[in-house]
Amino acid sequence: MDIIKLINLTKFYRGLKAVDDLNISVKEGVIFGFLGPNGAGKTTTIKMMAGILKPTSGSIIINGMDLEKEPSRVKGLCGFIPDRPFLYEKLTGLEFLNFLSGLYRLERSTSTNSRLMGLLDIFDLIDWKDELIEGYSHGMKQRLVMCGALVHDPRVLIVDEPMVGLDPKGARLVKDIFRRETDKGKTIFMSTHSLETAQEVCHELAIIQTGKVIARGTVEELIKDAGVDGNLENTFLKLTEGRGLSHDKPLSAP
Amino acid sequence: MTNLFLLLSPRVLGLKNSLINTKSGAKKKAFVTGAVAAAFWAALFVLSARMLIYFQSVEVIGDLLAHHLLSMALLTFFSLLVFSNILIALSNLYLSADLELCHSSPSGLEEVFLSRCAFTILDSSWMVSIFGLPVMMAYAWVYRPGPGFYIALAHAGLALAFIASAVGILIAMILVNLFPVHRTRDILMLLMLLIVIAVYILLRFLRPERLVDPDAFFTVMQYMSALKTTDSPFIPTHWATEILWGQLDKTARGGLLFETAMLWSTAAALIVIDLWVSGWIYLKGFSKAREARGRRAGGNILDIFIRIIKRPVKGDLASMTDKDIRIFFRDNTQWSQLLLLGALVLVYIYNFSVLPLEKSPIRLEFLQNILAFLNMGLAGFVLSAVSVRFVYPSVSVEGGAFWIIKSSPLDMGRFLWGKYLLSVGPMIVLGETLIILTNQFLHVSLFMMLLSSITMFFAVFGIVAMGIGLGAAYPRFKYENISQVSTGFGGLIYMIFSVLFMAVIILLEAIPVRIFFMAGMKWKNITTFQWLWIILAFLSVFLIIYFTALRFMKIGRQAIEEFE
Repeated sequence: MDIIKLINLTKFYRGLKAVDDLNISVKEGVIFGFLGPNGAGKTTTIKMMAGILKPTSGSIIINGMDLEKEPSRVKGLCGFIPDRPFLYEKLTGLEFLNFLSGLYRLERSTSTNSRLMGLLDIFDLIDWKDELIEGYSHGMKQRLVMCGALVHDPRVLIVDEPMVGLDPKGARLVKDIFRRETDKGKTIFMSTHSLETAQEVCHELAIIQTGKVIARGTVEELIKDAGVDGNLENTFLKLTEGRGLSHDKPLSAP
Repeated sequence: MTNLFLLLSPRVLGLKNSLINTKSGAKKKAFVTGAVAAAFWAALFVLSARMLIYFQSVEVIGDLLAHHLLSMALLTFFSLLVFSNILIALSNLYLSADLELCHSSPSGLEEVFLSRCAFTILDSSWMVSIFGLPVMMAYAWVYRPGPGFYIALAHAGLALAFIASAVGILIAMILVNLFPVHRTRDILMLLMLLIVIAVYILLRFLRPERLVDPDAFFTVMQYMSALKTTDSPFIPTHWATEILWGQLDKTARGGLLFETAMLWSTAAALIVIDLWVSGWIYLKGFSKAREARGRRAGGNILDIFIRIIKRPVKGDLASMTDKDIRIFFRDNTQWSQLLLLGALVLVYIYNFSVLPLEKSPIRLEFLQNILAFLNMGLAGFVLSAVSVRFVYPSVSVEGGAFWIIKSSPLDMGRFLWGKYLLSVGPMIVLGETLIILTNQFLHVSLFMMLLSSITMFFAVFGIVAMGIGLGAAYPRFKYENISQVSTGFGGLIYMIFSVLFMAVIILLEAIPVRIFFMAGMKWKNITTFQWLWIILAFLSVFLIIYFTALRFMKIGRQAIEEFE
């Protein structure tokens, strides 16, 4: 069953087409990787799916419900992890999670409380739960955001660049959690620049450029279709025609 | 020293670029700000000049008073300057975002330190020089000194600025080495606010209006003339006062070389001391300021308070209320403004307690009730001013974390009504306190007391709705300090709308008030036609408040739903 459907999704920004008639469907229980070069429209798409941006046209259907028509119900099913962890700096970690559990209408109960404690424990934040967020490092804030996104046990996780600011241990933790959540039937829609992460955890991928999907499939399918040897990096560069740093040009002026 | 100029260049280039690339909106804003500053400047000049002319007309002690005033003004400006230098030095030397780049560059420590000192002097001195200049110009206008006064003003002012900065920077360096930098800045800011409040209350309680009352004037004069010279000959403002007075008063002694030498040698010595001390402790303090700001967040009283406040609301709104109250009381820039608000209310009420009603030629009963009626407008204005600072920014206060609300299942209308409910209670308490206490001082009739307190009760619903609605229509999620939010275009629009709102209510209520008073004064009964007018006027007021509240909340909801 397709739990996420993006139908003819388009977004204009001051005359510029950031997302161009995007059509994507994602099956339940998979990690779907959303790749693309800078400015391709990944974050715009993700923010539309999270209900932060309004599409110019097209629709976002999650679990059979249209985000435009039933925003509260759809948002209640999703957890969102943005690329930059802006949080309420004057709350403690635990107060922030309590706030989110209220926002997502969870009962104030012992089970909710133990769930919050469990999440803090998993993300290695339990010792920091009573500290103000302003004292957290970037990586800790990112982990707290992830905790927050899982508070209401969402069916769909929408994730923008999850590995930014995480140390290797944190990155490993996040990958494990993503795998565990999909094993439980959850769906993860994730944009990332880290091709290594994408290759490692994603069941399926879509590559987007100038707002359009230019390739889609499993990692193996993409590598095969691109007709390149080796890994996802070469595939990605070929498909997006990116060259990276030119080896012909010297780094310093003569 | 090449690096010193390089380190200064980002500020210069930034200023140049912002002047070149100014957008039309920013130009308008700059024009309005400039006009307000010019009006303030002119008012301060006129006030100072009038006071000096008044002093001059008093034989024997007139000049003495002017001399005292100059000394007091310089001492006040200097103290403010030292204080603002400490605060600005904490930011410029320890907290600025670009400091890590500067310190990691091959520039010498001395060069980085000196460039930051230069920024500190500029950042702290311009405001005092702008506000001090009209007072000095008033002296020049009244005493007509020669060009020597202006030269003395420039060099003495510059020397005082150097001394104040050097003292401020030295204190800042010592404080950072003793206490955590963020805590020091918070405490100092609070201290400064308390000093401003104390000075404000003190000035008001001194009752300066008595200066224009001939009966009271001589008592005040005698008191002032009885004051002995307050400044010590060892403080820099004393030397600056003598230098300036030497130019203003023709009978005063000549060149004042001694004071000039004292002023500049002190400035030079303090700069050398700062450089010397910075070599010892600046880098140590800078490194300490980089350390994490872990702070335990206790507060059982806050928990109990929140539990009581959020009792009537449930679910997501209870969580919103909980979060908003915690953030408000933990953010020093927010709650400390309450102290200022308290002082404002205190002085507002005090003003009514000292109104010389008995001296008025108008019939007392009539005057009391007219004042009570006008007081509704004034209290409405005070409420709007408070609301523009506390209610209007309540959407913007979400800041960068607004994505959490926007991506949550919370409906935007519910989000705004939650903010509304949290604001309306305290605003009713404030409005009613203002109205009831001031009416008590005026000894108004029961009718006026009831009318104004009921009107204020309902008007608050409109004022708060306008604040929330316009705050959502003009949100500003990127800010350094939440008080900046109210100073924007939306804040101005809100003030205009709320003043108009109160004006319409008062105009409509003027009809029944007039009918009741005329009937009371002439011992006549109110006719059926008049009753009809009265009912119609009150009904209109009620409907205006009702529809204003709904309309502005709807505007806010639409705007925030569309916000990207």
